[in-house]
Amino acid sequence: MNRSRSLLKYSISRLLLAPVMLWLISTLVFLLLRVAPGDPVDAILGIRADSAAREALRVKLGLDAPLLTQYFKYLNCLIHGDLGESLNNQEPVRQLISNTLPASIELGVIAIIIAITIGLAVGFTGIARPEGKTDLIGRLFGIGTYALPPFWAAMLIQIFFAVILGWLPVGGRFPPNLMEPEGSGFLILDSIKTGNLQALLGSIRHIILPASTLGILLSGIFSRSLRLNLSKILTTNYIQAAKSRGIKDSQVILKHAFPNALLPVLTIAGLTIASLIGGALLIEITFSWPGIALGLQEAISQRDYPVVQGIIVIISSLVVIISLLVDIAIAFIDPRINFN
Amino acid sequence: MKKLTIHKDSISKLKMKSSRLPFKLAIKFSAFLLLFAQVSCMVKSDFKGIILASKGKIESLDPAQANKLLALQLISSLGDTLYRINLQGSLVPMLAKDKPIISKDGLSISIPLKENILFHDGTKFDAAAMAFSINRFIQIGTLTYITKSIKSIETPEEFLIRINLSEPSTSIKGLLTSINLTPISPTSYSLYKDKFLINNFIGTGPYKLINYSAERQSIEPFQNYWGEKVKNSGITFVSFTNSTSLFSAIKTGQVDVLLSNAIEDVHSFALKNLSKENTLIEGEGPPMEIGYIAFRTNSDLLKNKKIRKALLFSLDRDLISNQVSYGLRVPLRSLIPPFLAIRKNSPWPKYNVETASRIFKEAGFCNNKKLTLPLTFRSNVPSDKLLALKWQQQIKQDLSECLEISLNGVESTTIYKQLSEGAFEAVILDWTGDYPDPYAYLAPLLDCIKINDEVCEDGEAVTGGTFWANNTLQKSLMKSELLREEERLEELRKVERLAAEGAALLPIWHLKPRVWTRNNLSKPKFDGSGRLLLKEMIKYNE
Repeated sequence: MNRSRSLLKYSISRLLLAPVMLWLISTLVFLLLRVAPGDPVDAILGIRADSAAREALRVKLGLDAPLLTQYFKYLNCLIHGDLGESLNNQEPVRQLISNTLPASIELGVIAIIIAITIGLAVGFTGIARPEGKTDLIGRLFGIGTYALPPFWAAMLIQIFFAVILGWLPVGGRFPPNLMEPEGSGFLILDSIKTGNLQALLGSIRHIILPASTLGILLSGIFSRSLRLNLSKILTTNYIQAAKSRGIKDSQVILKHAFPNALLPVLTIAGLTIASLIGGALLIEITFSWPGIALGLQEAISQRDYPVVQGIIVIISSLVVIISLLVDIAIAFIDPRINFN
Repeated sequence: MKKLTIHKDSISKLKMKSSRLPFKLAIKFSAFLLLFAQVSCMVKSDFKGIILASKGKIESLDPAQANKLLALQLISSLGDTLYRINLQGSLVPMLAKDKPIISKDGLSISIPLKENILFHDGTKFDAAAMAFSINRFIQIGTLTYITKSIKSIETPEEFLIRINLSEPSTSIKGLLTSINLTPISPTSYSLYKDKFLINNFIGTGPYKLINYSAERQSIEPFQNYWGEKVKNSGITFVSFTNSTSLFSAIKTGQVDVLLSNAIEDVHSFALKNLSKENTLIEGEGPPMEIGYIAFRTNSDLLKNKKIRKALLFSLDRDLISNQVSYGLRVPLRSLIPPFLAIRKNSPWPKYNVETASRIFKEAGFCNNKKLTLPLTFRSNVPSDKLLALKWQQQIKQDLSECLEISLNGVESTTIYKQLSEGAFEAVILDWTGDYPDPYAYLAPLLDCIKINDEVCEDGEAVTGGTFWANNTLQKSLMKSELLREEERLEELRKVERLAAEGAALLPIWHLKPRVWTRNNLSKPKFDGSGRLLLKEMIKYNE
């Protein structure tokens, strides 16, 4: 079987497995939420309402039905692409997700660009003078950013740049004194599309601190990964062979060593993007960034079952898709990978 | 050797180019940040309104659904209630023309309505619109217990509404001032008779909504408002997710007003100090929130009243208030906030370590036998956690031979679910009355439908986790609903005295709603229900 056919077969098998995986995840989430202590009715009414009002609301929300009935109803809706309605405010979950997901994607993409830029720069510097001062600083930077508690780092950055220097806003996604541009929910893109300079600058001002914090915290893993890979590759025979054939050093590094060193970096980038969409919770809380992780955390605390289930299904789907895309990209780049 | 040389060569070239790359990048990044910050700050908007920040989102603007303080605050600016309560606790007509006329049997309330009032959609406000709003709330509202005493609504005249009750209720004024019953336009809500409209509000209030998202809402003055005109050009509500960000936002001037009871005490204290230095302006409302500890009186541990009594004497409120909240939470020995002033002397005992020790000894403790009290606190409420820790520490110093407190932090949603299941021996909670009246504090904490030998089997006392009830108290509570003025207050005093004797609840403190504004705004004011009067606020550089 030739390579492109085996890659196609692999991709199809991964795509076919995705619904099974999503079914398992959604079933697990459904069950875990029901097992967890707490009740959406209590979360909505607090301890103020009497038992009759509680029961009435329970019936209204369909929580009085047997668990199996609730489960099959949920699965049926999910198969038809209906994520249900929030128990808290009856807003469609699809709408809630479409309001928050662009914020998380926007933050995640910019953060990953910053992380890769800084990570690669630090990694390159380290390998340029192995065991030297710069390398030591780079390695400390790598370990430090990886080990730093995100909320602590975020608070320090917030206090320094927003409170002490006053250069950038403390939090939020958009200046409160401007009207958000209509469109896709990606405020930077929408501002560009509508030609609204104020909105564009405002959006960028608000994203700098959370994206930089997240980017710096993630850059360590990229720098360490690149440094390790590059140091190994520079001692391999094919690099020496290229050199001995008289190829310029810069070309050897850029054309032969760097692409191979990037393979693991690409894998890490793919997985990081996927996890970032749902996992930047502490950054979103610190900078009051209205993303999907914050929405998930609030939905969990309110025991808003459909919202939690919906968000997890969407995040899981994105993780599956991104992982598949990364695998395909790596397969294209690296001819050594065998999908048989 | 040659291999090594080639490798070193290539590396040395790389070194030349990139050894200082991170430093250059860092410098360039900082320079860019500074430049960008300065340039983007130069681009000013023409917005002249007030930016108000608070903690938490507003997930619904439907008055039939809203139950969070912030949502109620916003709805109170977009709509008017029939009456409002002033700082003296009296009913002030809003959409009502005059005071309510209550029938002799107390079962019917007639309310004349003001004329020539328009909704934001241009339609007319009348008795039919009021009836539509109340009936819609009864049909779909999530807090229908508010209206459980309403039997029917009549509209005998275009501007007269009659509410028929199933039983007399003196506390009906709470209902008439309830923001949940704010009238809405029947025309605009015609498609939402039986479902919520979460992202819009069409009322008669001084402001109208111009845009809504859960994190951000903007309102502007309603030009055809019937009452006193708004003194500012509009308000944008923005939400922050944590106390530190809120504090930083008002301090740096990113927002004009900070309104939040959810802000941590350490930040409130710092803001209070800034207002003393004239950096900010602080406003305070009537203290509507009380903090207390509920004891489960049907548990093996606490069914002995002597133990509960001893616990009442063992809490040093002054010390704990200072250590937890820098004195911002005022010690309270009553279930009713002092501004409602139903009595001069507090019915709950003062801290007295000798008395506590004596009662513990009478109950068989202290002589090499220590009582271990499991105290549960809401782990997501910082002041609860601090209170629990400080009380534990104080007991270690004062009563270590008799009492030991073991702490248990549980998320609030779980606590609310498990309170009525009797899961907690002692739990720290708070309560904010729906309206400023003693009944709104006593009934939700003490009311019981089914009593069996001082144990409540059904009612608010079960929901609240105490399971304590008393027949005499219950009769007094019900009787108070039939009485007026001083007679009613006397009956409520009796209720509170009996509650203190029962020792199922231990009041700790009360907390005022606070707001801070930048210096270019007028001093903020609250009404008698603890709502910030937004339309009174003036921004001087507008």
